[in-house]
Amino acid sequence: MIKLIKNYWFRRIVGSLVVLLVVLILNFFLFRIMPGDPVSTIIDPHFSPQAKQHLRAQFGLDLPLYQQFYLYVKSLVTFNFGQSFLSQKPVWEELRTRIPNTVFLLGTAFMLSALLGIWLGVKAAQKRGSALEKVVLLAGSISFSFPSFFVQLVLLMIFGWAIPIFPIRGSLSVPPPSGMAALWDFLWHMTLPIFSLVLLGFGSWAIYVRNLMIKTFSEDYILLARAKGLPENKILWGHAFRASLPPIVTMFLLALPGILSGAVITETVFSLHGVGKFLLDSILGHDYPAAGAAFYLLAIITIICNLTADFAYGLVDPRIRLGRKME
Amino acid sequence: MREPFRKICLFAIAIFACLFCFPNIQSFGANNVVNLENIKGPKIKDLYMVIYRDPDSQILALETGKLDVLGDIIRPVDIKRLSSRDDILMTLSEGFHIFFLGFNLREYPWNDLALRKALSHAVPRKKFVRDLFAGYCLPIYTYLPPVSPYYEPDVTHYEYDPEKAKKILAKAGWKWSQGGLLIPPGSDKPLEKVSLLCPTAQAAPTTAELASRIAESFSSLGLPVELEMLDFSMMIKRLDKHDFDLFVMAWSLSRDPDNLFAFFHSSMDTEGGYNIQGLHDSEIDKVLEDLRWAPDKDSAVKAAKEAQEMLSDKAPWIPIYSRYMISAIRKDWKGLTFSKKTTADNIWSLLNMEPVNGKMRPLYWCLPEDPRTLNPLAAGSAYDWAVLGLIYESLIGTDPYTLDDIPQLALKWNIETETHGTKKLTKLVFHLREDVTWQDGALFTSEDVKETILFLKKHQLPRYFDQVNNVVSVETPNEHEVVVTLENTSYWYLHNIGGLPIFPAHILKNVENWKSWRPERQENPKDPKLTQLVGTGPFIFMEYKPGEYVHLKRYDGYWKNR
Amino acid sequence: MKRILRRFSFWLLIGFILAGIWGPKCFKSSAETQVASPFSMPLWVKKDTSPTMSFALEPKREHVQFEWNWEAPPNITIWGTAKFEKETSASLILENPNGETILLAQNEGNTFLTVDVDGRDMSFKMGLGLSPFDDPMKELFPTKGRYTIKLWPPDLKIKSGAINIRIEGSRWGLLGTDQRGRDVFHLFLLGIRISLLVGISATLLATLLGVSVGLVAGYAGGLVDTVLMRIVDVLLAIPGLPILMVLAGIWGKGLWQLVVILSIFSWMGTARTIRSLTLSLRESTFVEGLRALGAKPSYIMFRHLLPESLPILLANIALGVPSAILAEAGLSFLGLSDPRIISWGRMLNEAHGFGAFTTGAWWLILPPGIGISLICLAFLDLGRTLEEMADPRLKGGANK
Repeated sequence: MIKLIKNYWFRRIVGSLVVLLVVLILNFFLFRIMPGDPVSTIIDPHFSPQAKQHLRAQFGLDLPLYQQFYLYVKSLVTFNFGQSFLSQKPVWEELRTRIPNTVFLLGTAFMLSALLGIWLGVKAAQKRGSALEKVVLLAGSISFSFPSFFVQLVLLMIFGWAIPIFPIRGSLSVPPPSGMAALWDFLWHMTLPIFSLVLLGFGSWAIYVRNLMIKTFSEDYILLARAKGLPENKILWGHAFRASLPPIVTMFLLALPGILSGAVITETVFSLHGVGKFLLDSILGHDYPAAGAAFYLLAIITIICNLTADFAYGLVDPRIRLGRKME
Repeated sequence: MREPFRKICLFAIAIFACLFCFPNIQSFGANNVVNLENIKGPKIKDLYMVIYRDPDSQILALETGKLDVLGDIIRPVDIKRLSSRDDILMTLSEGFHIFFLGFNLREYPWNDLALRKALSHAVPRKKFVRDLFAGYCLPIYTYLPPVSPYYEPDVTHYEYDPEKAKKILAKAGWKWSQGGLLIPPGSDKPLEKVSLLCPTAQAAPTTAELASRIAESFSSLGLPVELEMLDFSMMIKRLDKHDFDLFVMAWSLSRDPDNLFAFFHSSMDTEGGYNIQGLHDSEIDKVLEDLRWAPDKDSAVKAAKEAQEMLSDKAPWIPIYSRYMISAIRKDWKGLTFSKKTTADNIWSLLNMEPVNGKMRPLYWCLPEDPRTLNPLAAGSAYDWAVLGLIYESLIGTDPYTLDDIPQLALKWNIETETHGTKKLTKLVFHLREDVTWQDGALFTSEDVKETILFLKKHQLPRYFDQVNNVVSVETPNEHEVVVTLENTSYWYLHNIGGLPIFPAHILKNVENWKSWRPERQENPKDPKLTQLVGTGPFIFMEYKPGEYVHLKRYDGYWKNR
Repeated sequence: MKRILRRFSFWLLIGFILAGIWGPKCFKSSAETQVASPFSMPLWVKKDTSPTMSFALEPKREHVQFEWNWEAPPNITIWGTAKFEKETSASLILENPNGETILLAQNEGNTFLTVDVDGRDMSFKMGLGLSPFDDPMKELFPTKGRYTIKLWPPDLKIKSGAINIRIEGSRWGLLGTDQRGRDVFHLFLLGIRISLLVGISATLLATLLGVSVGLVAGYAGGLVDTVLMRIVDVLLAIPGLPILMVLAGIWGKGLWQLVVILSIFSWMGTARTIRSLTLSLRESTFVEGLRALGAKPSYIMFRHLLPESLPILLANIALGVPSAILAEAGLSFLGLSDPRIISWGRMLNEAHGFGAFTTGAWWLILPPGIGISLICLAFLDLGRTLEEMADPRLKGGANK
């Protein structure tokens, strides 16, 4: 039995590595079949074709494709992503200045919206037919239905300009305060972006969790627990919620990698220095090393999340855990 | 009633006579003339260049006083909104921008001159400017923008006149089919649908719309045009490969007209060359060569005039509009310099600006994007140079009122031409200022200039490649004199060399790899409080917080400050 | 079915669809035509602002008079050619109630006068002695009262032709105008089509793909399953939005490309759901029984597994449409769609890009923004109803 599980996980990890490899190859060719290269976007009458050729050579774009691929794979394996074409700075350094902002923004927003959504969902499921359930359902739908940039721009107009209580750009004041004040300053700047993301994100969680919980409530063992006269709170959190937890965790892990797409728009609207905008700019500027590195890190994060999700699911559904043995 | 009316009327007629007879002569209100010689500065202690990417937040920040200076305002609504405020000063200048439509002259029917002329008459530029830019652009008909010192107004203008366009075509033997499509002379089949390349709305929201309006106006003349919208780099690739019918594009020119050589000389019609339309005309080639290698200003002016006349007659482009530069500054600051050729957000204003109420405070200047790099050897974007331009200076500066050359690091200069057998050489002699020190305290000498030019030449830095490519030698007869010898003769050499940013020799010597050099992160060998990002300019680099701001401080030892 | 018919959202959706199909046909002109001055307010707000006025100076009508009882208008345009009987120096003049006159145009001793003037022209502002940032309308219309536009000298007779004068109003239509003076209501109606078309077709395509892959992977198992699921993993491991950008760059940004691109990146969830459903069903006794009876896999799949998953699938479709609509809006907002296709996302993108947010032009922002969310809400509600029908436990208020 243990051998089987081992075997399954072994296969699963190998499979993930294969996925990673495919993603890497795809990334390499995707950028290169996109017409144009980083040099061709420089159009400046004072920049002659001859000078462009020099620049191409410096970027290594005149090398044969297999050599470029070799260098690309090498850079990813050694985690030395080389230098960005656009800024000539090491890609890693570019990413390093941006990752804290993005991780804090998305991480906090994601956690808060998930927690709020889960709590509301559980409460709504508990009080079937109540006003609370209706409000949660409606608020959840509305939260899901508005385009993110619309909500963010409206918030920015209201709280940044009409009632200017929040800053309209960036993650710190200029000039920045020092000491503890700097932390408050940072939080103050992040409030509006995070608030907007929570507003947009909690709805799908609330509805998802409510549906999940309702299904759980109709299971026999909950009825049994009720019949036994266990306290309602214990049934709710101790039994029903615990039973619904694996799919929630799975959902959590699967949704995690996808939130970066939201970062692009949020970072644009609130002028934040983050990874999303960096990715967009790198793609538009054909900055292969930068975009390649960002994609690579994302792919790793996604694959780790997927593996963890599988693992979490495997805990509840033995059929999955045993893999494809019943053939 | 009668008499006063007549007077007002006559007065008004006088104004309007001026206006409608010479539509090109415009004055944008009073210039703010400050005598540049008398400027002692900078007065500001702290300068923060704050990064605001979103145009909405730029406007809101300016209105709430979080920003003091906002340059390059494009959206008509913002112009309208800001100009209705009392606490903000708006300035406008003509720009070196030129937006045009190009033909692929290598192919039929674009090599037909009559068709090109007719199409030039079919573009309602005035209407475009009104509808798309609310009037805040200049419709143009020539190959250099009017602000250029070499602008020649007296060339063939293709005013909007669809009737005339039809007449030109009819005269050249073109006919129209039943469906109103153009039939070329000597053929009985109408023209097939052609495509007009334009960048997507993401790059420039108005360009796509402008292109579709151009396509519409061509279609109404009988030329069926389809818009092909491409990602900018993709579009450039197509243009590089000459795989197109029509395209729209914009150039940002400089005050020297030798760009015309790059755009229209037949030798520039290579893959990736800037003669995208593929003009091959031996007469124009000759004039452009005269322009490129003009030995002095007079011959440059003459060649530029001829080139503009000939280009207008050949109509290889349809020039459409030129953007005005518009900037806004909060009125809490005084001492600004601006003219119809330079908006108020310039280096001269920065040197002279001080708060109206006398209480010094930091100045907040808007930077719409992060600088990509602060390594001046690799920096290329306008945002990089918005910062670096305050730190480094060049030998020759530009007068904000006339755009003429004025002394900067060089006090005076002269140009000599020498002939060695069949070879011609140009010698530029610069006499440097003697009272200039680098921000780290080192004295500025001719050695710095020499080291800079030789470094750029030796490492073939792409950015400066064309500027120093023809340099043969650099000599320093004494500490304050530099002699730069270049192959061939060209009047533009003076600007090529005079416009180079000058770097400190004592720091440049230690740069091992110019590509990965990070001057803003390395400690200065002379002054541990400073970085290696030191120049002779008015501001010292203090700190760069990516995505947030660049902090600069006044350089107290600046040569204009003494 | 009856339950669906009782839902308000269903009828809202029908309304949207009908408006999308028939609405734009009620307009004679194309949506691209400029109908009024840019950023005109809707007709039903601020009723005391100026209306649009048009006049013409024609033969036998060498001057016009009108009452002006409002603030200065947003713009004035004058165009046309008037031919005279003899060569003369003619000018066009505006006289305001204070008796002051302003010269609008003139010729230099010709037999005709051609005018092409717009209040936004820089040359016009200069001519009035204004700076480029002043509003010339305040100069032309300083007070309320009787204004006259006439030719000078007064004995001038127009032989033929006409000079047209149009004073732009600041209100238009049901929902005002946008930055180009286009009718926002017309654009709004056109936007319904695109949003629905993109939303529904992208979801259908994605569902088709997801169902096929999920069924095959779940039922066939083994190598097929592994390969298919790894493909799913690969697609999941590529960040969506940036790839959409790359693909939009390669394939172009047309409507159908957008649909294909959106569906390629949204079928994985369905595939996983269907796969796991199939996985658990294929181990169930009745499928095992069928297999024992010798039923073909394709028969089992389409005859039993598919119907079994149909309700949840329908709900999935209805819930997927909002995602597709929002994704389209997001792409448009980032400027990644074809600007010639009018969609709500595009409208919001333009409103943002051209400064409607700072101008406070809410009539440009709210209709598409609320439109998107209403359609999404309707689909969500429909989806939930379908879900409840598939799984009666979910029905609101059943318990307790």
